[in-house]
Amino acid sequence: MDIETLHLGPFKIKNKIAIRLFSALDDRLGVKEIVDDEVFEKIVPAHLGFWSCFGGISFFLFISQALTGMLLMVYYQPTIEEAHATVAMIMNEVPFGWLVRGSHSWGSNLMLVTIMIHMVKIYVSGIYKPPRELNWVVGVTLLLLTMGLSFTGYLLPWTQLAYWATVVGTETPAALPYVGEYIRYAMRGGEEIGQVTLTRFFAIHVMLLPVITASVIGLHLVQIRRQGIAGPM
Amino acid sequence: MAEQTEYSKKKECEVKALPMEEKKRLVREGKAHWFFPGHIIEQVVLCGFVVLILITLSTVLPAHLGDKADPFDTPAHIKPEWYFLAAYYSLRLAEYTDFLGAWAPKIMGIVAQQIAVTILILVPFIDQNVNERRPGKRPVAMVLGFLAALTMVIFTILGHLI
Repeated sequence: MDIETLHLGPFKIKNKIAIRLFSALDDRLGVKEIVDDEVFEKIVPAHLGFWSCFGGISFFLFISQALTGMLLMVYYQPTIEEAHATVAMIMNEVPFGWLVRGSHSWGSNLMLVTIMIHMVKIYVSGIYKPPRELNWVVGVTLLLLTMGLSFTGYLLPWTQLAYWATVVGTETPAALPYVGEYIRYAMRGGEEIGQVTLTRFFAIHVMLLPVITASVIGLHLVQIRRQGIAGPM
Repeated sequence: MAEQTEYSKKKECEVKALPMEEKKRLVREGKAHWFFPGHIIEQVVLCGFVVLILITLSTVLPAHLGDKADPFDTPAHIKPEWYFLAAYYSLRLAEYTDFLGAWAPKIMGIVAQQIAVTILILVPFIDQNVNERRPGKRPVAMVLGFLAALTMVIFTILGHLI
């Protein structure tokens, strides 16, 4: 690209260094094509209204949860002696700790609300119909993953409510024939809920489920990009 | 080619391949918007709103931190978070199946939940009315969907009350 002016959508770039830099990237990675296709020359359906934005908001909340979660991990200690005390410290002593934990806690509730609104919208508008059947399946998986994240995250402050809700929650599958006892044992990491359970829930909450959820969100978005946003009915 | 299928029915790769003139025409006719900058600004503003809501909620109703867990002190009312209340109530409801035998109450609840989730996953394959998307023209899907949602709401409320 040996040019005087670089045209990027509405922008006209005349700065020589910027043009050389962009040209270098374009020669190696074909950046111009991507930027034009995905940003400047892209059109979206005009009718997108208020109810169409809840999928995107759920996605934003997932990112917000990841960020606030990382900040919480700076002070939180996943041991039955220290968990409650470190969360109390985050609330009372750490600068803006109350805001980070508040956003994480409210974010999880809000995320489930926005996912549910998103699902109702998709259902009522019949967007799950061909060619988008598979993306409905992926979407329901994301709802289940989010519930899994909520369930495992709930135990981490090691409060009375969290502890006993987990007692009940892990007791439920134990009723299943043959596999029930094993599921309970696997969830608790033993017969009782204790340090192993907390370690396990912590690992699942901050590593396993976020990585899986992020990947499945990727699958959700790739399908949307291939199929496009659903047009009017 | 461009005139054969309507814009709203096109796949993304077809839309992407439209000539610039055609895209401009769609925007002029009000059928489409440019992604940049309008749509992006919308998204950023929405995200800003979400951040504001999170900050407001955290300030007005700070996250609660209950007493430290005590394995030797069972509280009187153990209740899950609101999004698990419907599932929780369905387990309670399953206790009425004890006339089938002592095994029934616990298993029926879990099995019912599994069936509900399976049906939810399979919605696009159960609904054979593949071409009609307008809600007014899909009475069966609307009524069934409404009943399912109503059941969830009622179960959640009852789960909260017990």
